[in-house]
Amino acid sequence: MSLRLAVLLLSVFFCGHGTLRAQDDLLSMLNDQVEVPEKEPVTAIFKGTKIINGQSPELPAPGVMQFMILHRFGAFSDDFFYNFFGLDNAEIRLSLEYSPVHWLSVGGGRSSFQKTYDGFVKYRLMRQSTGTRGFPLSIVGYSTANVQTLRWQDGLPHNESERWTYSHQLVLARKFSERFSLAVTPSLVHFNVVERSGDPNDVLAIGFGGRFKINRRLSFNAEYFPQLNPAQYGPEGERETYQNSLSLGFDIETGGHVFQLFFTNSRGLNDPSWMARTPGEWGQGDVYFGFNISRVFTVKAPDLPKSE
Amino acid sequence: MSLLRSALVLAMASSTAMFAQMPSVSSVKAATGEKWQTRKAYVRFFSTTPIEDIEATNNQVSSVLDPLKGEFAFQVPIKAFVFEKALMQEHFNENYLESGKFPNATFTGKIVDFDPSKLTGSGEVKLVLRGKLNIHGQEREMDIPVVLKPKAGKGILEANFKIKPEDFGIEIPSAVRNKIAKDIEVSVKADYSA
Repeated sequence: MSLRLAVLLLSVFFCGHGTLRAQDDLLSMLNDQVEVPEKEPVTAIFKGTKIINGQSPELPAPGVMQFMILHRFGAFSDDFFYNFFGLDNAEIRLSLEYSPVHWLSVGGGRSSFQKTYDGFVKYRLMRQSTGTRGFPLSIVGYSTANVQTLRWQDGLPHNESERWTYSHQLVLARKFSERFSLAVTPSLVHFNVVERSGDPNDVLAIGFGGRFKINRRLSFNAEYFPQLNPAQYGPEGERETYQNSLSLGFDIETGGHVFQLFFTNSRGLNDPSWMARTPGEWGQGDVYFGFNISRVFTVKAPDLPKSE
Repeated sequence: MSLLRSALVLAMASSTAMFAQMPSVSSVKAATGEKWQTRKAYVRFFSTTPIEDIEATNNQVSSVLDPLKGEFAFQVPIKAFVFEKALMQEHFNENYLESGKFPNATFTGKIVDFDPSKLTGSGEVKLVLRGKLNIHGQEREMDIPVVLKPKAGKGILEANFKIKPEDFGIEIPSAVRNKIAKDIEVSVKADYSA
């Protein structure tokens, strides 16, 4: 207490003699006057809008349109060389999204798997920030509606609503340090129609995704989405449940783009299929090499600050 | 430690408030040695190559100048630079300037051959600011020529100069080397009269 008082008295004394300050004191004077902002957002919790298959808490910047190409080669276990390193049986999804404001992005995509179209919306509820009114987490909602458009081949009458699946996720993420960020993602996948009686229409999963920056331009990413009530898979007699999606890979930044290169047991690219319809097992070599590429276009540039 | 710091900050703040309440006759100001200050100075940088022009601006720069001794300090918050392309801004902060580690650029020093009467004239004066420029945690001695225009008993300082990213340990990866100029043009405007 007395130390505190002494410092207070001393500093008052020296401040009264402001002209005695040297240049470095001028700098500390500036430092002391710059208000600590009440709230400063933590930026770049993850590099891209996806960690691998799952969503990161990032959205494209406001006024920015993002084009993404997702690509999964055929599995190592599926005649890998016959299929020219999986190229012949690759899956692809193209998507386009736009952020009209900083907390919202909307978009659509098309996956080759089951000729599926999807629409999605991503919205930030809370943003991790520092300062006196800071908040420790980013909380981002993400919902998709997906419709597969395969021709019916069984000659039976169908209802078009059978084609639709949905997913809803809440991404809870935190950048613990410049290098390490983690996201926990409670997820719900809804299928209007399931393959077998006894399969759940609503599958629950909790995703875990993280990144560790190896250096400024390279990070290691991992993602695991255990399901709480997976559906059945496989022929009668040797039936098992769908696998949990596990993906490991790298974000590589070359200056203009971010390339995500990884291995995953999920082949489907729209959200319900990779989260709740992954038959592949890592242990059986059902591993797909994949990449995500994003390209952004500035549709509406921000106003640059002007001098007064 | 935080107690100590908050006590210091409190003391500084109260003494600054005392300065602010001084009589506002301009001639008196200079005589009493009241420092010229602004927290809204402007810095723009511009990189031009045949492939791409890159511009970013920042109007949250703070500066203080001691009109009796000719000493000065500038503090430039790196995160406050705004780019037209958001991705560029992110790369600038994350990969080039590493603003998480080095949040501010600073320039501190003294005016060369300073004489207080230089600041009290009625016309434009050319001065040279000599000091240490710290960007990205790396410091270099620099002489920066400036023009000072008198205004309301104080003045507006303007400068244009060039810096090289490599001088401050800022690596440019080969993939974008031909998009970023070797010499970055920097302009500064600090209005101390506001």
